[in-house]
Amino acid sequence: MTMSASSPQLDVANGLLALLGATTTEPRTDTQLSALTLTVAADLPVLLWGAPGIGKTAALNHLAETLDLPLTTVVASVHEPSDFSGLPIVGDDPATQGVPMAPPDWAVRLVRAGRGLLFLDELSTAPPAVQAALLRLVLERRVGALRLPPGVRIVAAANPRSSAAEGWELSPPLANRFVHLQWTHDHEVVVRGLGGTWPRPALPRLDPDLLPEAVAFARRAVCGLLSVRPDLVHRLPTTDAARGGPWPSPRSWEMALRLTAFATAAGVSREVLSILVRGTVGDGPGLELLASMDRMDLPDPEDLLADPAAATLPERGDLRQAVLDAVVAAVRNRPERSRWDAAWVLLARAVETGAPDLVVVPATTLATLRREDWDVPATIERLAGAVSLSRRADAAATRIAAAAGAGR
Amino acid sequence: MNAGNSPPLDVDRLYAARLYAARVRPYLATALFALHPVASRRVPTMAVDRHWRCYVSPAFVDRTPLEELAGVWVHEVSHLLRDHHGRGDRVARDRGLTGPGERLRINIAADCEINDDVFGDGLTMPAGAVRPESLGLDHGELMEDYLRQFGLGPRTQGLVWLDCGSGADGLDREWDLGPDGANGLSEQERDAIRFRVAEGITGHPGTVPGGWRRWAEEAFHPPQPWRDLLGAAVRSAAVMAGTGADYSYGRPSRRSHGVPGVILPSLRHRPPTVCVIVDTSGSVSDAELGSALLEVAAISRAVGGRRDLVSVLPCDATAQVVHALCRAQEIPLIGGGGTDLRTGFTRAQRMRPDVIVALTDGQTPWPSARPLAGTVVGLFPRSRGSWTENADRVPVTPPAWARVVTIGPR
Repeated sequence: MTMSASSPQLDVANGLLALLGATTTEPRTDTQLSALTLTVAADLPVLLWGAPGIGKTAALNHLAETLDLPLTTVVASVHEPSDFSGLPIVGDDPATQGVPMAPPDWAVRLVRAGRGLLFLDELSTAPPAVQAALLRLVLERRVGALRLPPGVRIVAAANPRSSAAEGWELSPPLANRFVHLQWTHDHEVVVRGLGGTWPRPALPRLDPDLLPEAVAFARRAVCGLLSVRPDLVHRLPTTDAARGGPWPSPRSWEMALRLTAFATAAGVSREVLSILVRGTVGDGPGLELLASMDRMDLPDPEDLLADPAAATLPERGDLRQAVLDAVVAAVRNRPERSRWDAAWVLLARAVETGAPDLVVVPATTLATLRREDWDVPATIERLAGAVSLSRRADAAATRIAAAAGAGR
Repeated sequence: MNAGNSPPLDVDRLYAARLYAARVRPYLATALFALHPVASRRVPTMAVDRHWRCYVSPAFVDRTPLEELAGVWVHEVSHLLRDHHGRGDRVARDRGLTGPGERLRINIAADCEINDDVFGDGLTMPAGAVRPESLGLDHGELMEDYLRQFGLGPRTQGLVWLDCGSGADGLDREWDLGPDGANGLSEQERDAIRFRVAEGITGHPGTVPGGWRRWAEEAFHPPQPWRDLLGAAVRSAAVMAGTGADYSYGRPSRRSHGVPGVILPSLRHRPPTVCVIVDTSGSVSDAELGSALLEVAAISRAVGGRRDLVSVLPCDATAQVVHALCRAQEIPLIGGGGTDLRTGFTRAQRMRPDVIVALTDGQTPWPSARPLAGTVVGLFPRSRGSWTENADRVPVTPPAWARVVTIGPR
């Protein structure tokens, strides 16, 4: 080679490269990056699913930089099982000392550093025997005789199953140990980035004051759901393809609980939490968990009945209706005159502060709960709007029924 | 609610219509009540955005009968539940559809998908609603399919005013309040509502029309393409049989020189042998059969098989397509045979393959014992015509020991 760093042509080229590299950043909330950061903070193995070339490695470099962790990349598909389970090395006297399983160099370096981000790339193209060896690494954090220190966090990446026939399914036990995140590129971010401005994501920070509250919330949410839906605790998917993704098991529910606590302590949006729990226990069970959390946020019917005049009802129509239904159900469970009256006050408030059509069904049900010696409260006057609404809907029903009868 | 200086919005009429809609479609009540109405003079009738706001023209509410208004409520909420904005964006990107004309076509196709099964049974179809029949199309199809079948022309001339908003076709409108506007729902909240509606339908499917039941089944468990499923089944069957990678002392490991004195096993690859039984007696189209067979060959190559390790047993002598395919793909073709799949299984087991793949329409007796090889059944659903012809024939389902993948046109 005659070309050296001092070659004038190369200097010009370096100048051009420097200009191309000079980019600025702008703050931006990035949901998938927040989810990745939280999972890594929660010390759960995370698996990024995404097509090649969409910036999974770039995201990891960025994450390692932000967390100040050295990044070690191991391409799983080009390794043998013994690279993860250890190579036998014969000592002086195997009969008494045994044969130690020697770890590969990257593991030794990781242990010596005491901390780092271990990136297992191309997991889905690793043969099943390698995946089996990876089980121990991911779950027990052992490589041969070495145990990875707690400061090491594990991230993996896989290319999604496409219509092409290549690649293996992830084995169900391995899939169940990961938090699965779908990695996509944001068109706007890419275009702006190529124009010279890359996003500087605001990473979630855990609030030390919120920790006990976050744990209590997460436990209440997960246990509350699983006690009423016991069949959700363990459900191995029926198709081979779905078994290679997130599915519910006691292990993944524990991961979902931990992620819920982390998301609560970090105060991230429900979108981030949604990505995390759906990536841990699967879409259906994850959505059920989120739905039961939404219900936990709703006001307690007993509190509302205790002080109906001061009650604040949710703005959103469907939530408001759920609250009113719950109030009526509470009155039905323990029918007392004072509670019945309080429920009417609540319904009147609901008519005055929001859409009246939501109140019709709860009011009709509440009316049927009346006992003979209970007088109709004066509050009912305030529900006149809802009653006339109901009459108009009844009239429409009569007209449609008549039209249908005439048409026959 | 901001009415501006236009005639004020008759909210009572609007809410009475919503109440009526929720009464006749109780499974949609959650979604209907989650919609946030916004008075707007710029929308022609009613329109939704992707954040579940419903823009309502006060004049439209005044002139529309309450029954029809209820139908419009259900129509608009259907756009959101069926994710027409997301699907519209995807289809526009995938097929390179740009411009307002194409978005109008998406809106019309989405309207066709909704209007062919939401009305009736107490719900009046609003005047001027687009139905597939009015465009000369079949009903019961999806928006994506309708979109292929018509262009803008004389038949759609009367529909150019049609505008269900950005919630229906994914194109932002100037009246949209945007993601930061008041009372919009976040993506997670939208998913939660769709989930609760779907749960309600699958929990009480009794009176719910077929279109909604299908939607509820697929809303959070979209059907996977059969190629993925077939590939997954063949790959895991190949692994279960102990093929693929295994340890062998037959040859020293390439790492043995690093550990003198120790005999290490080496990782040997024993490619799986795959035997494909093709039942060509049924009403299986050549195109479907051909693509399924090609797929099996491609998968077995990908898991390390060689061409000579894939063999094909056609269970009917007249199977021209199988012969032609096997010649083209250099797959060894082994004899014809009867139409009984059991003879095919017996012959296949004599070859001791690791995986048996049976491509069949399922109208056959099955072997009583489980084969030693992992078994995958690629099932071609029978066409509807055959079902009515053989109405009294009891379909024989594949046995439990086989992994079954339904091979459809998609």
